[in-house]
Amino acid sequence: MTQFNRRRFLKTAAMTAGAGVAASSFSLPTFAQDARIRHFWWGNPDRDERTFAVIDIFNSKHPNIFVEGETLGFSDYFTRLTTQIAGGNMADVIQQGYGVLFEYVDRGAVVPLDEWVGNTIDLSKMDQSALDAGTVNGQLYALSIGANSHMAMYNTRLYEEAGFRPGEDFDPYGWTYEDVARIGAAVTDATGTFGTDDNTADYQNFSDFVVQKGGKLYNDDGSYGPTQEIVEEYWETWKMIRDAGATPPGPESAGQVGAEVSQWGIVTGRTATTYAWSNQLVGAQNLMQDTLGAAMFPNTPAMVPGSYIQPSQFICLTRDSANPEAATTYMNAFVNDLDMTKVLGLERGIPSNSEVREALRPTLEGAAATSVEFFDTIQDKVAVLPPPFPTGANEVEQTFERMAVAVLLDQGSISDVARDFLRQAEAILARA
Amino acid sequence: MRDYLQKYGAGYVFLTPWAIGFLGLALGPILASLYLSFTQYDIINAPEWVGLENYEYMFSFDTRFYKSLQVTFAFVFLSVPAKLIFALGVAMVLDKGIRAIGIYRALFYLPSILGGSIAVAILWRQLFNQDGVVNAALGLFGIEGPYWLSDPRYSLYTLVVLAVWQFGSPMLIFLAGLRAIPQDLYEAAEIDAASKPRQFFAITLPLLAPVIFFNLVLQMIEAFKTFTGAFVISGGTGAPLDSLLFFTVYLYNEAFSFFRMGYASALAWVLLIIIAIFTAIAFYSSRYWVHYENERG
Repeated sequence: MTQFNRRRFLKTAAMTAGAGVAASSFSLPTFAQDARIRHFWWGNPDRDERTFAVIDIFNSKHPNIFVEGETLGFSDYFTRLTTQIAGGNMADVIQQGYGVLFEYVDRGAVVPLDEWVGNTIDLSKMDQSALDAGTVNGQLYALSIGANSHMAMYNTRLYEEAGFRPGEDFDPYGWTYEDVARIGAAVTDATGTFGTDDNTADYQNFSDFVVQKGGKLYNDDGSYGPTQEIVEEYWETWKMIRDAGATPPGPESAGQVGAEVSQWGIVTGRTATTYAWSNQLVGAQNLMQDTLGAAMFPNTPAMVPGSYIQPSQFICLTRDSANPEAATTYMNAFVNDLDMTKVLGLERGIPSNSEVREALRPTLEGAAATSVEFFDTIQDKVAVLPPPFPTGANEVEQTFERMAVAVLLDQGSISDVARDFLRQAEAILARA
Repeated sequence: MRDYLQKYGAGYVFLTPWAIGFLGLALGPILASLYLSFTQYDIINAPEWVGLENYEYMFSFDTRFYKSLQVTFAFVFLSVPAKLIFALGVAMVLDKGIRAIGIYRALFYLPSILGGSIAVAILWRQLFNQDGVVNAALGLFGIEGPYWLSDPRYSLYTLVVLAVWQFGSPMLIFLAGLRAIPQDLYEAAEIDAASKPRQFFAITLPLLAPVIFFNLVLQMIEAFKTFTGAFVISGGTGAPLDSLLFFTVYLYNEAFSFFRMGYASALAWVLLIIIAIFTAIAFYSSRYWVHYENERG
């Protein structure tokens, strides 16, 4: 027993174990690279395969530049990116989204591309709307690699089994929340698969709903737009759909918040409808046997447009790039090179380069063709793209998802949770 | 000085590998985080001195800070005693001199090596899923299992079970402690016709007290620092409804989701101080219940 008689030993052990927690943010230095370019994106198995193939094409065309790919699922992507920002070892080229781009520009993590335009970067074929979306304070920070919109995806086999054919039994471009409840309940009854996901904790659907009700997600002064009434009505609407028997039980939906594509109810066979970004159709379809159909997010009977088309994914040059010339050469090829864009297809969204779109059109089939048809149809059914959201928007979104779980679990009344959420949203924006 | 070195020199030599690691790798970040805790620091821009603002906000306004304390304390007070009791129980069974004991020891120790890993956390998620193994097993008895992970009433318990499952290291230490108790004490007790429970409370527990104390302190500190399982099972956010918002998960979110390194550093120091206080309490209380063989009284 002798070793246990040494109190000093115990104290030391206790101190070191405790001290570890205080060692939080620390970093390694960056190492210089010669034309070695790292590209980091959030992905899914399909996107990763395509992107690695594109990198191989680029590397064989440019023997003096060597590109390496790094990929993670969406939920881990920004966490890793943040650690890399802290470490000063971000990849040269990173993927960004419209909703968060502004925060990264604001914080200086991504740098302007203007000095490379006309030099390594050719913008002659890019849509003006895509360039506008990548421009912050008059400087171009981001090249659009795909335009997107909100899309409801439904399992056509299950819908048909329950007797719903698009265009005949329901209008995929003009259905209401009541339709979702009615069709969802019928699908549940007929097939045993829940008719629809529960969007109570889905911030994208909520943001649509706000605009559908004539509101704004953010006011011009950067304050939070939704009112108590709108938040309550949104949650009441989904409660109505849930109570109709169209969705899985609340606790099950609570466990699905933030799930990756491979865990989606529609992919695992738990539900028949999901709500996502239009470019995710290709990725989800690749994981499924049944054919997916495309619909807009449901609306109120007034049919005020709530979704918008946004150039949603971008590639950006980071502050940490040691060789911006090589990095921008790669970025340019990623959006303009027809051999490369052919492999990428529509997986990240509809390309913003008109020449690329034309080259792709004849080759499309399956989910890709469905996406294009969807895009053509929604052009006149969408809202005007709002300006980028203020810093803190990301935290507000996470707070919504977190607190909406209380509604799914029936813990606290909808009006209490809504009041609490709005109070927290204001506090977050005031603190940011 | 020479006498001192002769007496303790070897000890310091053995300490060197740890000291190099601590001074070279840990001390710098610890001091830096102390400095950062008085700043606002979003990683990209230089830290900005704000004095005690982070601490003021934490104690006056931050409801999630209090929630994370509540979750962490509940976890520590549930998991540490449960794990120690379980480890002692297994150690006593193994102490009976079973054949091939080496194999059992290795097997029981295995979860401790694996337990902190991401893979096991994911496995745990699968086990406790609505359609996971646990509910399938309950289904055999006609019980419909709850949503273990997405119902805030149950989610913490799955992590307590995960912690208890990693009983290997305290179990090994208990086993060593049990082996060191002189057998003649039990023989004498047998002759006096003391029952087994009586023997346990009168001989085993008191003589094992130093080992229990050692395990208690180490396991308590480990429990305060729990991160991996909670992070993976809650999807990194402390969900559902912050029921898995362990202090470390909250700290991580503030730092790496919301770029508030200064605030996160302040949280880290508060955790360090909490751990220090509880360790001090344990040491203070040990005067009354831990007695060492070579001590008087």
